[in-house]
Formats: sequence, C-alpha cells, structure tokens
Amino acid sequence: MFETALTYNDLMFLAKGAGMTLMVTAISVFIGTVLGIIFGVFRYQVGALWAMPLTFVLDVFRSIPLLIQLVLANAFITTVLKIKVSGLTVACGVLSLYTAAYCAEIVRGGIEAVPLPLRRAARSLGMTWGQDMTSVVMPLATRVALPSWIGLALGVMKDSALVYIVQVVELLKSTQILITRLQEPLFLLMICGLFYFVISFPIARFGGYLEKRWSND
Amino acid sequence: MKSSILAAGLVAATCATPAMADKLDDIISAGVLRCAVVLDFPPMGSRDADNNPIGFDVDYCNDLAAALGVTAEVVETTFPERIPSLMSGSVDVVVGSTSDTLERAKTVGMTMPYYAFENAVVVSEKSGITDEAGMQGKTVGATAGTYEAIWLEEKVKEWGAGEFRPYQNQADVFLALSQGQLDATVSTMEVAQANVKTGNFPGISIVAKADMVPDYVALVTLREEYGLLNFMNLFINQQVRTGRYAELYTKWVGEGEPANLTIPGVYR
Amino acid sequence: MFNYNFRWNQALNSLPQMLEGALVTMEIAILSMVIGIIVAILLTVCRISGYRSLSAIATTWVEIARNTPALFQIYMVHFGLGSFGIHLSPYISLLLGIAFNNAGYLAENYRGALKAIPDTQTRSARSLGMSAPQAFVHVVMPQMLRISFLPMTNQMVWAILMTSLGAVVAMNTDLYGVTSALNALTFRTFELFAIAAVIFYVITKVITLSARLLAARMFRY
Repeated sequence: MFETALTYNDLMFLAKGAGMTLMVTAISVFIGTVLGIIFGVFRYQVGALWAMPLTFVLDVFRSIPLLIQLVLANAFITTVLKIKVSGLTVACGVLSLYTAAYCAEIVRGGIEAVPLPLRRAARSLGMTWGQDMTSVVMPLATRVALPSWIGLALGVMKDSALVYIVQVVELLKSTQILITRLQEPLFLLMICGLFYFVISFPIARFGGYLEKRWSND
Repeated sequence: MKSSILAAGLVAATCATPAMADKLDDIISAGVLRCAVVLDFPPMGSRDADNNPIGFDVDYCNDLAAALGVTAEVVETTFPERIPSLMSGSVDVVVGSTSDTLERAKTVGMTMPYYAFENAVVVSEKSGITDEAGMQGKTVGATAGTYEAIWLEEKVKEWGAGEFRPYQNQADVFLALSQGQLDATVSTMEVAQANVKTGNFPGISIVAKADMVPDYVALVTLREEYGLLNFMNLFINQQVRTGRYAELYTKWVGEGEPANLTIPGVYR
Repeated sequence: MFNYNFRWNQALNSLPQMLEGALVTMEIAILSMVIGIIVAILLTVCRISGYRSLSAIATTWVEIARNTPALFQIYMVHFGLGSFGIHLSPYISLLLGIAFNNAGYLAENYRGALKAIPDTQTRSARSLGMSAPQAFVHVVMPQMLRISFLPMTNQMVWAILMTSLGAVVAMNTDLYGVTSALNALTFRTFELFAIAAVIFYVITKVITLSARLLAARMFRY
C-alpha cells in the first residue's frame, strides 16, 4: 500500500523546502515583532487620533489577501521601480509588515490590559517612563500577549505557504514539484501537511497551556 | 550650503543614467544567463530523478548561454508567472514555450518562432468523447494563461454551454482529467504524448488533433532589448541551420520531422 | 518619475468584470461563514457531549484546520476527495475548504467562550425543567455567540482573504481568479492587482461594518 517512488534525494529536497519555510517564518516573525512592538507602543502613547495614519496603513495589511500583497509588492518593487531584489527579500519584507500589523494590535491590547493605577503608582515611586515600560508594563503585558503572539507566529508559518508566488521554493512548492514528477499527489500532500502539523501542533498546545496557566492566577 | 551640496549629490545620483550597456552587454559581463523555464511541461521542461531541470527548453537555454559564452541558470517558473518574472527582472529571457500572441507583444519582445506545437484533444476515458466536437458542453480545462487555455475559454464562450477551468499547472490539469473532474483538455501533442506514456495518469487518452493554428512559440525578453532580440533571432536560425534543432527534437520528442518554423507566403 | 508606463486605462476597462468577481468573493465568504458557524456549533456540542468518539472527531477536525495552511486544506478538498471519486466544482471546493477552516477556528473560539459562562447557569436552566439541548440552545449558545463575536468578525475577514486561494482549484470567477485571468492575458500585473487590492479593502470594510451593525441589533438587551 505504501509503495512509493520517493527516494532519499526527494526527501532531502522536501527538507530543503521545509528549511526555507522555517527561515522565512523566523526572519519575518522576528522583524515583524520588533516593528509590531514599536508600532503598538507608538499607537498607545500618542492616542488614537494621532496614530490614525499608522492605524490605517496597518489595517490595510490586514484587509487585503496576502497573495495580492505579495504580487503587488513584487510587481511594484521589481517592475515599476526596477530595483533588483530576490523573491526571498520581497517575501520576507511583505511577511514582516504583515506580521507587524497583527503584532501591533496584540501589543496594544497587552499594554491596555495593564491597570493604569499600577502604572501611576510606578511613576509616583519615581520611575521614569522607560523604567515603567520595561519593569512594570512589559512583564505584565507579555503575560496577556504571549499566547496570541504564539498564534500569530504559527499563522505566519502557515501563511508563508503563499510565498511560492514570488518564486520562493518553500515546503508546499517543493511538494508540488515532486508531485509533478512522481504523480503521487495524495501521499506527498499528506507528508507536507504532516510537517506543518508536527511543527504547529505542539507549539499551539504550549500556547494554550500558557494561556490557561497564566489566566488562573 | 552643505545641505544643498547634499541635495545636488542626491539628484545627480538618482538621475545619473547608467552607461549605455544593454541587456546583451549585461549578460555577457555578468557571465550568467538566467532563463525562465517551465518544468512541469515534459518533454519541453521537467525534472530528473535528482530533481534537476531537464528537457528541450533546458537544453535550448544551455545552447543559448553557450552561444553567448556564459553559464546558464535555469529558474523554474509556472505558466502564469513567466512574463511577470521577466518583467520583474528576476530572469533575462523566457525559454518557456511562450506562444507569440499579439496581446503579449504589447508588453514583451518576441523572437521568431523556435518551435511549433500541434495541439491534441486529450479526454478522460469515462467521458466518452471521441473528437473535438464532442467537447461541446462538457467540463474542459487547461493550464491558466496558455495558448490552449485562451483558445478553449473562447470555445466555451462560443458554445454557450459547458464549463472552463484554468488550473495552475499542467500536472494539475492531467490529475483532474485522470480523476474524472475534467472531461477533456487541449494540450500540445508532445506534452500529451509524454504524459500519457508515463502511465502516471490512468484513464486518459489522446483522441484527436485539435483543429487550431499551430502554436508557434518564441523566446521572450524585454520589449526594448533589440540587441538581445536580434542575437536570439540569429541564434534560432543557426540552431536550425546547424542541425541542432533536429538533434534536440530527436532527443526529447522522438523520431520524425521536427515542426516547420516558417509560414509560406509571408516574411518572418 | 518611474521608468514604467502605467496603463490604467487598459486595466480599468476590466473593472466591471472584476466587480462581478467581487460579488462572487463576497458570496463565498458569507456562505462559508454561515456553514462554518453551524458546523462549529456542532463541533462544540460534540466536544462537550462527553462521548469520547464524537469528541475525538471534533478535536481532530479543529487541530487539522488550525495547524495546516488553508491553501493545503482547499487543495485537499478538490484533489484529495477527487481521488476518492468525489468530484466537486472549483466553487464548491473553495467554499467547503474555507468553511472547513472557519469551522475549526470558530469551534476553538466557542470553547474559550464556554469557559466564561458559569456552569451554574446550565444547572439552573435544567432545574427549571429544560432539557439539556434546550438549556444549550436557549441559555448557553446565545451568550457563547456574543462573547466570541469579535473573533468571529476576524474570522469573517479571513474568510474573505482566503477566497484568494481559489486559484489552486481552478476557481476563475471570484475576484482573485478574474484578476489573474486578466493578468495572464495582458500582463498589466501592477495595475490589475492594485485595483483588486482596493476592491478587497472595500469588501472587508463593508462586511465588518455590517457585521457590527447586525451584532448591535442581535445582541441588544
């Protein structure tokens, strides 16, 4: 039943695609989180009105399909501006901003969850804004935000399946390449799906565990 | 004062036109020719057991690179992504069995034909279709953005019945056909024969030659790159003249007379 | 300024076709959401039913939907079921693929919402003479839907965005399908996709806004 023409070489080929998926995810989540924290703090600090332009731009990233963002960014940078960049760069750039757009919301939610009297108390104890942010707000906000952030990171990993459109050969694309040659679509897709599942499931469960543990005290 | 110098410098930097080197020069000085090739389109492009690119188009790209005295880099692309990848500068030329339609020539530059396909009607055996007319009113499909797809979609509109489905790649079309999701497709004879022969798609067969103008395919590069277009036109001529064209035909397609690339009664 | 000739005219000529596609996109998003909500409620019932096999099926569904890419799920609906002889049209494949995904995420939201509803409510409903299904439908479910309303609007937005994945199953009548078909003909990638992006943005805003209005009516008390 499990006869397959899949060779060791093909498995390595898939592994390379999986490596690409993980790399794109890691880069985008890292840059996106840093940007997301900056945007989130900025939005909270200057108030809804002044942050409106930023809010609007971030909202655009959450209201247009990632596939279209990728095609459009690629067409704009390479065809209109004629800047020579690799598909990987475009993919990471778009995914980073996409991550940042969601992350900013999570960060803002986290900061808002910290009770104001607590922060006033911190400031009246003589803490500077920076000290208040790093020693009071950050630890508390992280507790609120981390489970959603884990969900976001996993979402980005799954969404990275779309970067094939800018010629990046990641896991799903390498699976399709093998399907074309070996014509065993179901078997190969199962392997591919299983890979995503194996990475995503334990981390998602861990996120759920944190959420449960931290909400009880 | 300082800022105005800076500003002037910026303006100079942004406006400075690069030396008059065109793409042909760029390729030769870079030492690399990047070809977009479609690799799910045997015998024109596919992958061997080590997942390396092989096929008629891959060899053609290698020959072109050799003629330019550079090394070839094959960049895999899908049919819908061929021209965008060229326009975005991620490849230099498309050696991807690109039909020379007028609509495309508005955006990119086409050489003279380097190959010509006959098209075949391929059917799912369950459908009971035996000829081209039998496709009327059935569910048909082809690879999005190809000559056959555009032709089939027109046909479906003309019939006013049936359904047209554009799949993302050739493999998905044959898979859908083999599963019985499609009743029929039109695909280039060479590709249809190669795919039926693999035995990977049970339940499909070639029933007839499609009654359409042969699908002349050209090498493609940017519209304004006359130097490169000129070079490639001569290259295609030389491939035929030296017998390399016939050699590649025998290697990838089979015995027989390779397709005629000229059209009687008209230049070019 | 740009060394690129924009041809907005050529792209704008196709606007009527694209707007028709936009209607199909909205239709799929809304239908997939309706199916998703119904299935998610069923999955939630299965998970709290106490029957191990039902709960296992529901949990498997939720975990697969949440832990694999949506693109993969849609492809599997079309070609996966296809290899078992179940042939679905591109429209239905895309609809069911998105509904599968919606149901998984929503069921997880509902489970979270259920935790916020005190057990005592069910017990008092039961002691008032309601049957277990009655207690669920009349007491628990309305609150569950209200608590998870915000995640539901988010999922609605995702459902709209997910319609763009239909190309893998040869979907060509939705907004993304129409745009990429036009792109294959004319190669005005930037112009066409910029217009598509604007339309998508408007659809998302219109749908979230109407969802909010609907909620304001439904959950008023």
